[in-house]
Amino acid sequence: MFRRSWRHAAAATAALLALASVTACGDDPSENLSDKRAGAMDNYAVGTQFKATEPISFSVLYNNHPNYPLKNDWLFWKELTARTNVTLEPVAVPLSDYNQKRSLLIGAGDAPLLIPKTYPPEVHAYVSSGAILPVSDYLDLMPNLKDKIEKWNLAPELDTLRQADGKFYLLPGVHEKPWHEYSLAVRTDILDELNLEVPKTWDEVYQMLKAMKAKYPDAYPFSDRYSQPNPAGNLLNLLAVSYGLAGAGWNFQHVSWNATAQKFEYTGATEQYQQMVQYLHKLVAEKLLDPESFTQTDDIARQKLANSKSFVISSNAQTLVNDYRPDLAATNPKAKITKIPLPVGPAGEVNPASRLENGMMISSKARDSKNFVAMMQFVDWLWYSDAGQEFARWGVEGTTYVKDAAGKASLAPDVDMIGLNPGAPKHLQKDFGFANGVFAYGGKPELVQAFFSAEEQEFQQVMNARTPKSPPPPFPLSDEEREQASLWETPLKDHVYQATLQFALGQRDLAEWDAYVAELKSKNMDAYLETVNKAYERYREEHS
Amino acid sequence: MVTTEAAARRTDTPPRPRRRRGIQQTRGYRAFQVANGIVLTLVVVVTLYPFVNIVARSMSNEAYIIAGQVNLVPRGFTLDTYQLVMSDSLFWTNYRNTVFYTVTATLISITLTTCYAYVLSKKHLKGRGALVGIAVFTMFFTGGLIPNYVLVTSLGLKNSVWAIALPNAISVFNLLVMKAFFESLPTDLEEAAAVDGLNTYGILLRIVLPLSKAIVATMVLFYAVAFWNSWFAAFLYLDQQELWPVTVYLRNLIAGATGAENVGSITEANEVQAEATLKAVTIVLTTLPILLVYPFVQRYFVRGIMLGAVKG
Repeated sequence: MFRRSWRHAAAATAALLALASVTACGDDPSENLSDKRAGAMDNYAVGTQFKATEPISFSVLYNNHPNYPLKNDWLFWKELTARTNVTLEPVAVPLSDYNQKRSLLIGAGDAPLLIPKTYPPEVHAYVSSGAILPVSDYLDLMPNLKDKIEKWNLAPELDTLRQADGKFYLLPGVHEKPWHEYSLAVRTDILDELNLEVPKTWDEVYQMLKAMKAKYPDAYPFSDRYSQPNPAGNLLNLLAVSYGLAGAGWNFQHVSWNATAQKFEYTGATEQYQQMVQYLHKLVAEKLLDPESFTQTDDIARQKLANSKSFVISSNAQTLVNDYRPDLAATNPKAKITKIPLPVGPAGEVNPASRLENGMMISSKARDSKNFVAMMQFVDWLWYSDAGQEFARWGVEGTTYVKDAAGKASLAPDVDMIGLNPGAPKHLQKDFGFANGVFAYGGKPELVQAFFSAEEQEFQQVMNARTPKSPPPPFPLSDEEREQASLWETPLKDHVYQATLQFALGQRDLAEWDAYVAELKSKNMDAYLETVNKAYERYREEHS
Repeated sequence: MVTTEAAARRTDTPPRPRRRRGIQQTRGYRAFQVANGIVLTLVVVVTLYPFVNIVARSMSNEAYIIAGQVNLVPRGFTLDTYQLVMSDSLFWTNYRNTVFYTVTATLISITLTTCYAYVLSKKHLKGRGALVGIAVFTMFFTGGLIPNYVLVTSLGLKNSVWAIALPNAISVFNLLVMKAFFESLPTDLEEAAAVDGLNTYGILLRIVLPLSKAIVATMVLFYAVAFWNSWFAAFLYLDQQELWPVTVYLRNLIAGATGAENVGSITEANEVQAEATLKAVTIVLTTLPILLVYPFVQRYFVRGIMLGAVKG
C-alpha cells in the first residue's frame, strides 16, 4: 500500500517537473505575446508618447515618504492618466519598513505588479521563488530602455545584474553619468587660517590634518561619523575605492576585480587594502584621526564638529547643508565648511560611483495579464523615456515648471522645492507629487542634478571629469553556491572588520599582516575565491 | 514613601513610639529599610532622568541639542517640532485611528480573555487540559509571518480594524494570570449563588466580575498599552496611510528625517529642526495619553497582578 502511494507520488512529481520544464520553455523570448496586447500600442517606439488604447490600471508598491505623504489628488496621478490612459493603484508602505513589507507581499504571493525601489543585491532572495519576472527577456518591449543601454553603453553594468541563468530580474534606474555623492567636509576657514589649499589627494589630506593638529593640538582634526552599524562605514569605502578596490565599509565587497591578473581577489587581503590600513594607522597614530571615529554615533561626531573639537568629517550634499552648516551657524558663526572633491588615491582620478540605481521588479503575475505588453510599454515610457523622466521630475510645463529659450527647465514661481522658491505657496513634491523618489530617478545629468545646489553641481562637474570606474565582469552564483558562499561570508567579513580596526588603532602590529591573511585563509577565503572565479569563468564561457 | 518613613524612624530617638507599633524593629531591619530606600530612590532617578531629558529635548532648540547642552531643563525653548508634527492632518487622522483601534481591540480582548479564563478556572470542566494546551501551544509555536498574513488576507480582514484586533485578541500570559485569579476565588461563593438561583452567566456577571475589578483593570491596562504601542500588525495589514495608527506615522517620520533613504533630496530648514528633536517629540506624544491614564489604574494594577500570581 505504502509502496504504491509512494510510486504515485513519484509519478505525480515527475509529471509536475515535466510540466514545469515545459512552462519554462514557454518563457522563451520569442514566445507569442499576441493575446497579451490589450491596450498596447502597435507603433510604440523611442519618441512616441505612450497612450494605452483602452483605460487600464496597474497596482504599484508605493514607498510612502513622510516628507511628502501620498495624496490621491496629486496632479501627478491625474496627468499620468490623461497622458497614458493608465491608472496606478498604489499600495502604500511606510518608508521605515519598506523592505520587510515587500518580502512579505512577495512571499505571500500578494505583491503588486510593479515593485519599485529595489536595490540590486536585494533581488537574489526572490529569484529562485519564481515570483519575479526575468525582465531581460522582454527588453524588446521597451524601446526607450534599449536605446539608452545602447547610447550610454550600459551593457557591462547591466551584466553585473545577471543571475546564474544569464537573465536579470531588475529594471534598474540608469544614469548617463555616474553620480558620486560622498566625500569629506572640511572647515575652510581653518584652511584659510593655516594658508592651506583644499587637498586633492589623500596624502594632501594627511598634510592638512597634520597642519591642523600643529595649530590646535587639543583637537582631533578628523573625527568621523557613519560608524553604525559598520565601523567608519564611509571613510573605509572612500579609501578602498581610491585605492582601486571594489569597496569596503558600508559598501563592503568581498571580491575586487584584478584586471591585470584577470581574476577576482579577496578585497581584505589585497596589497591595496594593506596600504589603506597603513594610511589609517598613520592618521590614528599621529592623533590626526579620532580613534572614536570607528565607534561613535553620528550625533557625537556632529557635536564634536559643532564645538570645533574636529574640523573634518564625512559628508554628502544633504548633511553638509542640513547638519553641519546649521550646527556651526549656531555655535560658531565664523566657521565655513564645504564638501571637497573626493581625494585621489593610488587608483588615480576615478569616479567610483555606479551608473545603476535602485530599480523596479515586476511580479511574474504580470506575465499572465492581457495587458502585459501595455504595462511594459508604460514602464518604459514613464521610467526610461526622456519625456517620462522629465514629467516625473519636473511635472507639467506651465504649471509646475517653465522652460527658457535654451530649453533649460526651472520651477514655476509659485512652486517650491528644497527652498529654491522660498515662500512659494505650493510644493513640487508635497502638493503635486512630482520629483517623487518612487517615480523619478536616473536620466541625463541635467535631469538628475536639476535640484542640486550650485556647489553640488560644481562638485559633480569635478567628479564627472574623472574616469568612470569600469564595472567588474559578472560572476552569477548558482543557488547552492550562493548558499555556501553566504555561510563563508559572515565570518570573513567579521574578521576583516576586526583586523582592520586592530591594525588602524594600533592594537595589532602591521607586521602581522601575513598572519592576518593566513587567518582569512583558515576561514575559507580561498574556497570562496575559487567559487567566485569559477562562476566568472563559467559565465564567460557560456555567454561570450 | 519608604525613604521618608525610614528617615522619620531614624530621627525619633525615644524608644516609645517604636514600641507602640507593636513589633520591635531590629537594627538589621532598619538598616535594610534605609538601604532599600536609597536603592529605590536611585531606581526612580535612573528611570525618571531619561524621560525628563526627553521632554526637555523635545522643547529645546536644536543648536543646544547638537552641542549636547540639554539635560533636565529645555534650552532655547521652542515648540516648532510639535507644531510641525501636529499641523499635519494625517497625524490627527492616525491619532484618532490609534484611539479607535486601542478601544476596540481592548474591548474584544478583555471580553474574550475573561470568558476563556473563567471557563478554564473550573476544575470540573471536561477537556480543560486540552483547552489550556491549545492556548499554551501558541506561546511556543506560531504559524510564521507569511502564513499569518495569508490567513488574515484570505479572511478578508485586511485594511480593517479586525486585522489588528482579532489575530492578537488573546494574550496567553494574560489568560493564565486571569485563570489563576479566578481559581483563587472561593467556590463557596459561586455555589451559594447557584443555590440562590443564578445560572452560569448570572454567576459570572453578578458575582465573579464585580469581585474581579482589580484583575480586569490590570488586564485592560496591559492590553491597552500593548495595542497603543503596537505598530507591526498595522504595518502588515493596512495598505492605506489613512488607516495607519499614529505609531506607524511617527516611525515613518523618524525614518524619513534620519534615514539614508532621502539621498538626493535636500530637506528644508524647518525639517532640520525637526530632525534633531523629532524622536523626543514622538516619544512624548505617544506616551502622554497612556501616562495620563496610568495613575488612575495603577492602584488596581499592583493588587491585581499580585492576586493572580499568588494563588491560595
